[in-house]
Amino acid sequence: MVKLTDYEQRMLNGEMGEFKQRAIKKIVEYANALGAEELCTVTKATLFFGYQPYLDAVKSDDYDEIFSRMLLCEHSDKIYKMDKFSDECFAQTCAGPCDHFRYKEINLSKEVFDKNRKFLDITKEAGVSIAGSCTPYLSGWIPLRGEHFVSTESSNILFGNSVYGACANADGLEASAWSAICGRTPLWGNHIIENRYATHVIDVQCRIETPLDWDILGHALGRLLTDGNERPVLIGNFNRPDLTRLKKFFTALATTSGCELCHIVGSTAEAPTLEAALAGHQPKRTIVIDQAEYDKSYNSVTDHESADVQLVALGCPHYSLEEIRNVAMMLKGKKVAPGVSLQIWTDFTMQHLAEVNGYAQIIEEAGAVLLNSGCPMVCGRTAYDIVTSGFATDAAKQAHYVHTDLNEKNCKVFYGTTEKCIEAALKGRWEV
Amino acid sequence: MEVIKLKARPAYPGKAAGEAIVCPHSIQGWAGVSDETGIIIEVGHPEQGKCIKGKILVMPYGKGSTGWSGHFHSAAVAGFSPAGWVFSNIDSRCGVATAALEVPAVADFKDVDVFEVIKTGDWVEIDGDTGEVTITKK
Repeated sequence: MVKLTDYEQRMLNGEMGEFKQRAIKKIVEYANALGAEELCTVTKATLFFGYQPYLDAVKSDDYDEIFSRMLLCEHSDKIYKMDKFSDECFAQTCAGPCDHFRYKEINLSKEVFDKNRKFLDITKEAGVSIAGSCTPYLSGWIPLRGEHFVSTESSNILFGNSVYGACANADGLEASAWSAICGRTPLWGNHIIENRYATHVIDVQCRIETPLDWDILGHALGRLLTDGNERPVLIGNFNRPDLTRLKKFFTALATTSGCELCHIVGSTAEAPTLEAALAGHQPKRTIVIDQAEYDKSYNSVTDHESADVQLVALGCPHYSLEEIRNVAMMLKGKKVAPGVSLQIWTDFTMQHLAEVNGYAQIIEEAGAVLLNSGCPMVCGRTAYDIVTSGFATDAAKQAHYVHTDLNEKNCKVFYGTTEKCIEAALKGRWEV
Repeated sequence: MEVIKLKARPAYPGKAAGEAIVCPHSIQGWAGVSDETGIIIEVGHPEQGKCIKGKILVMPYGKGSTGWSGHFHSAAVAGFSPAGWVFSNIDSRCGVATAALEVPAVADFKDVDVFEVIKTGDWVEIDGDTGEVTITKK
């Protein structure tokens, strides 16, 4: 059984209110399920809050009731009143189910928009800042080396663990919330420094240069990680990836696998060398990613027949200012084809900087929309209803997840470079 | 009928019994189990089409999405909860699901391959207080 400090025991006894008592009770159960011996202090969190479609499982408009059932996992009729989150843990929201200011442009209802704002305001009062970001590191949410964090965004777990050497497990929606409320998580898995050594050596032999290459590499690597709980380390003759490449790589890797920590020799915090990443351990396996594996991934995320497109979605994960600037330059003086929604997704900070620099204006003048907080996939609901023959994206994650659904509706899913996506939005058609 | 007893680490207290659904390669998070029906919908999964309600789920660890626990929990809220869990090597996804669903669980077997011993359709009783697992072969 997990050992608690005096402070944690007092919280479990209910001295800090029943909201925190419930959260730490669940964290203790989680720790005991894992076999953890103690808890550790969590100082950063990103949480999947707002009016997500999955919350409709609870037939209620009362957010306290919804939160009690879906996040606090209370199986009786008991309803916990929303109370303060942990003072020790800075918590902000992940990508959510709607832009913070617009809904018509993304084919969502006013009801969804209003309810989302209402729910976000409730958690903001409880201490969870509204950030609507799946790339929180772009706007200053940065867990440093050895810092314990929780996140509901899988690519952010990979980014924080790998790039900064901060510590997180894949806790899911519920345990991330419990941790942000009580400020604790089980000291287990990636939270223990000795556990973070590389288990699989990945020999990268495919073409690996552009952001698209790194996106596809992530998809392919994830497919090939089949042992469970792997911590790969990448070696090979490639140039050191920049932020754009890394965030695409981690996002795709977290789509096809459950990977939480991926070392890259010469790039990430705990891998100055292969030997350092392995930390004296023998790798379980070496996996070669050659051009055939790359091609297999590429061909699985895109369709191969030309079609008209109605929705082109960019910004998965959320675009940086640099990526927004590049898109603005491509769109300058041009017009998106009639009947096409070109959506460029980012967070509030990047959106504001894009406005300051005039990029947002260029994008909107071209007939595209620069949006914050979400993406079509996280919005769900009616977001894809405008697609009648084709959807295009420069993110393997988006293409991967919607492929089956859209193909079943006889719609094509296209994946390619940002340039190719912009070209399709301007023409209204994806030509293969 | 052949009866086999195993012992592992108790992971969530209580007793449970049910028919086993054995998934040596786990069940994926996103599009793995239907939130509304509790039916395994993972395309190409050996147990695709079976409902997890009242079953003992036997798997190594979680797979895919950070929302792994959320999908099982949504199914449970809709009335389709497994009776219990058997994890050969528990991970954080399964740990959260265990705490979220509040059904008995045992985990982390030593010196035995549970996927050799337990097959889908066997009757499995688990004791989440002692870690005992009793398998009655079908």
